[in-house]
This record gives sequence, C-alpha cells and structure tokens, in this order.
Amino acid sequence: MPADRARWFWWPAIAAVLLLTPPLLGTYQLYLVNIALVNIVLAIGLNLLTGNAGQISLCNSSFMAIGAYACTLLSTKLGLSFWLALPVGGIVAMSFGCVLALPAMRLSGFYLALATLGFLEITQTMIEEFPGITGGIRGMIASRPTLFGWKLGSDLALYYAFMPIVACLVLVARNLIRSPVGRAFDAIRNSVPAAQSLGISPVRTKLIAFAIAALYAGLAGGLGAAVVGFIDPVEYGTGASLRHVTFIVVGGIGSISGSLVGAIVLTVLPELLRGLKEYSDFVYAALLLAFLLLLPKGLVGLGPMAARLWSREGRVSGPPLEARGGPAP
Amino acid sequence: MSADIALQLLFSGLSVGSVYALVALALVIPFKASGVLNFGQGEMVTLGAYIALALSLTTPLPYYAIVPLTLALAALVGVAFERLFIRPLVRAPEFTIVIGTFALGLMVKFAIRLYWQDNVYSLSVPFSTNPWIFGDVRINPVFVSIIACAVALVAALAFFFQRTRAGKAMRAVSQNQEAARLMGISVERVFSSTWALGTAIAALAGILFAPVTGIHPEIGNLILKAFVAAVIGGFDSLPGAVVGGLLLGLIETFSGAIVGSTFKNVIAFAVLILVLLVRPYGIFGSAGARRV
Repeated sequence: MPADRARWFWWPAIAAVLLLTPPLLGTYQLYLVNIALVNIVLAIGLNLLTGNAGQISLCNSSFMAIGAYACTLLSTKLGLSFWLALPVGGIVAMSFGCVLALPAMRLSGFYLALATLGFLEITQTMIEEFPGITGGIRGMIASRPTLFGWKLGSDLALYYAFMPIVACLVLVARNLIRSPVGRAFDAIRNSVPAAQSLGISPVRTKLIAFAIAALYAGLAGGLGAAVVGFIDPVEYGTGASLRHVTFIVVGGIGSISGSLVGAIVLTVLPELLRGLKEYSDFVYAALLLAFLLLLPKGLVGLGPMAARLWSREGRVSGPPLEARGGPAP
Repeated sequence: MSADIALQLLFSGLSVGSVYALVALALVIPFKASGVLNFGQGEMVTLGAYIALALSLTTPLPYYAIVPLTLALAALVGVAFERLFIRPLVRAPEFTIVIGTFALGLMVKFAIRLYWQDNVYSLSVPFSTNPWIFGDVRINPVFVSIIACAVALVAALAFFFQRTRAGKAMRAVSQNQEAARLMGISVERVFSSTWALGTAIAALAGILFAPVTGIHPEIGNLILKAFVAAVIGGFDSLPGAVVGGLLLGLIETFSGAIVGSTFKNVIAFAVLILVLLVRPYGIFGSAGARRV
C-alpha cells in the first residue's frame, strides 16, 4: 500500500480509538491513561534533548517540579485560570532551562551530567527550604481545573481536556525533528566541529534544546499536578529523573514513537508488576541496565530487527542493496 | 566567631572533607585509568558500610579484623562489577556510561533496602566516642580517627603510585593505553585493579563515616559531594581530589555556621556549577583531558 494511502487509513483510526475507547475504561484505568499522557510529554521533551540533540540531562524532573509549582501556585494562590497558568508554568520552566543552558552550553558528557545533577539538587533543596511557598516536604494540594465553568472532576473529563494538548505537543515535536532545528540537533549530536563547519551554532542549538525540553517538562508538571491532585516533592528527585531516562531508553532513543512506546509501557508495567511491589524499584533499574547493554535501540528498534530477520528468511524478496542504488562494494 | 568555635569547625570540616576526599579518590582512580566515571560509586560506600555491619552482626570478629575483611570483599565486588558491566561499556557513548553506572548503583541500593529496610543501624567502634575536652574546645575522637585514616591512606597511595610496579602500571595506562600495552602492561588487569582499589576506598569511606551518620541506604548520596570535590580539584588529578574534598568540607562547615544550615547543600552545588562555568578542568586538572 502506498504510504499516503496508509496514512489516510491510520489517522482516523487512531483518532477514533483515542476519542471512543476511554468511556469504556474504569476510573483507575482512566487515571493511568492520564498519567501515561503526562509521561508521554516528559519522554518527548527529554528525548528531543538527549536522543536528538545528544545532551545528557539528569534534571528533567526539576523542570517538571518548576512547572508544577508555578502552575499550581498561579492558579490556587493568585486565582489565575488553569488554562493560563499551565503555559505560564511551562514558560517559567523554560526560562530556568535557559539559565541552566548557560553552563551546559560549554560542557558535554560527564561534566554536563554533573552540572544537571547539581541543578537537580539545588531545586530539591529550594523546594524543601521554602515551605511557606512550596509546602516543603509535605507537598501541596493542586485543585482540579475548570473549563467553561465546569469543574473537570472526573478522570474522563480530564482526559478529554488534556488529550488534545498532548496530541498537539506530540505533533509539534514530530514536525520540529523534521525542521532545520531538528536537523541541527542531529548535527551537534553527531559532531560539534562538523556542525560548526556547516554554519550551525552549537551554542544556539543547545540553548534551544534545553529550552524545549524544559518547556515540555514544565507543561507535563502542570498537567501531572492536575491529574494527581497533589504535588509531592519526592516525585521530582533523582529517582524521577532516572525514570524519565528509562522511558526513552526502553522506548527508543531519538524517536517520537520510542518516547510514546516507552512512556506507555512503563506506565502500565508497574501495574502488571503489582504482585512484586517491593521489587518494582529494583526491576525498574535492572530493566534500564538491561536495555542499555543488550538493546540500546529500545523497543522500537525491535521492529526493524524483526523485519530484517523476516527478510533474511527470503519471504520478502527485493533487489539486493547495490541494485537499489546503495553503496557498491 | 571565637577562636575555639573556629577550631572546632576546622576539625569537623576537615573530617567531613576527608570523607569527601576519600570518595572523590574512589571516583578519580578508576576514571583516570579506564575513562569511565562511575555514577554509582556512592552505593559502593553504602555497600562497604553494610558489609561491615553484616560481618559485625554475624561473626565474633573484632573491629580491626572486620575492616580489612570488608575492604577485601569490596575489592572483589569492584572486580566483579568491572568484568560484568563496565568492560562492555568502556567504548560506549558517555550517555550509556552515565546511565548504566547510575542504574547499577540504584540496583545495589534497592537490593540493600529490600533486605535491611530503611532502618538506621550503628556500627560500634572500639574506642570511646566521648569528646576530648581541651579548655573550651571539644573534639570528637571519631573525627580524629577519620582524619588520621585519610592521611594514612593518602600517604599509602602516594607511595603506591610513585614506587610500586602496580602503581606505575596504573599511571602508565592512564597516560597512554597503547604505549602501556607495548611495554607489556596488561591494560585489562589494570582496569580491574583500579576498580578494586576504587571500590575498597569507597568502602573504607563508608566504614569511617558510619559512626557519624549511622548506616542507612541513603549514605550513598555522599557521592554528590564527592563529585563536587573532584570537579573542584580537577577530575584527572589525585592530589586535586584530596584538596577538593578538604576544601569542600571546610566551605560547607564554615558557611553552614555563618549563613545557617539551610543553604549548606545549595552552596556545594552552586560551587560545582560555578567551577564548571569558570574553570571546568578544576584547580589541578589539565584542560587537555577530553574524550573525543
């Protein structure tokens, strides 16, 4: 089937599933779906920064925290509408991302990992040390948003409000990867000197990458606070950042579908592992290590691998590589 | 600030700084040889403390026998980790190394937590912990023991790296692997032995620090301070790691006394980011140390 006709079939099918199936789910399942939406935004933001632009970040959860606190404080303390507080929270997180980018632009590899780890510790300490504003380690209650005068009390209503936002963010990221900015990300990931020789400014590109990742994490923070109804600072520590990294490693580094797969699988997996509740942290870390060592392309890397195995058995007959204009031996 | 308080702060600063320096050494020694920075080394500190605890609970051995036994066991753990997980990662991209060693550390921490829970245990030391009182100055003997052990270890390391064949082989490998190989040095064996050495030093830090903080699964968070110490000193310099650790301990203790303990942690990480911004190769490091 030609690609464009396949697309004609897939888009309405996906839209129908996204719109029609949620009413069939139970409350807890819907809650999980909403959590998966938040995790998708987190994974996509981090994957743009780490997978596409090649910058290690161990402080994704800090930007999530900044977005969550900014959004919640604006809407509960200042009475701002949630729909205004959410983007403002994202922008606040983005500005912090730009601040972090100042040292980060000059660093790479281990040193960048250390700088982002330092940033994470600073935000954690700040949250704990200003209990008057943030509620300290006891956290803070986040109110449910209202839309046109209706309180989005049920998880279903929240789903229908948030799903289009997340879908938009996914599409924006997908288009971004295919834009000159996305190509610049690829270039600085592969080789900074080569990118410079092509007229790409690594400083500017890294700044954009950090800003976008922080924006996505900040928006996810606001959405997550509304879904959970509570802000718990423990949820924004080193463990959380590592969880976000696990999303993209398990799903697939540097691909939108990888972010989607990773976020969804790792939202559902802990529920399946419920019987081994106390082992779940251990399983999570073991999974991360196993994927890094054995399957570095993640779950989405399995697709092409399976296709290759399939064709090696001769069921898909195609001309050899050279005949298709590939590299001659 | 009166002189006796300053003296007391100096002592506690130096002792905390000694622990930072030891953990920083445990990071820098394997890093110099293999180019792999272990983000899970903090959990080796925790593991050392727990091995000592387990030995003291299950065997009738005295403290002075438990310590060397713990160090030997920790060294074995280090060799095992190096063979199983690190060697496949040596040529991997830095992202894989960072996240892989982080995940390895977390696995150790979660395994410890599964067995011992979040309880705080104490390891009894064979000397009185009552402070020595000189006039108005009170000095905790635990602090003195930490500083004394750190000084002894640094001296032993200096001798090891300057005078012994194994130490010279490690230095040769960190300078140039190809050349070292041509001189008949087994680079793989050096990798293993630096990991054994690093893990044993981390375990020693855990044992020394246990009387101060108690033994609990979060001791490993110390690694963050060790990173700061190593960055201050320059990541590829052993004297730098020691000086950086002591400096950080003093900065923290004195600033904590002056501006209050609230911002003590923030100061350490503000120093980290500042050093990375202004002088990324630290005080003693060389600018050329860069993996391409």
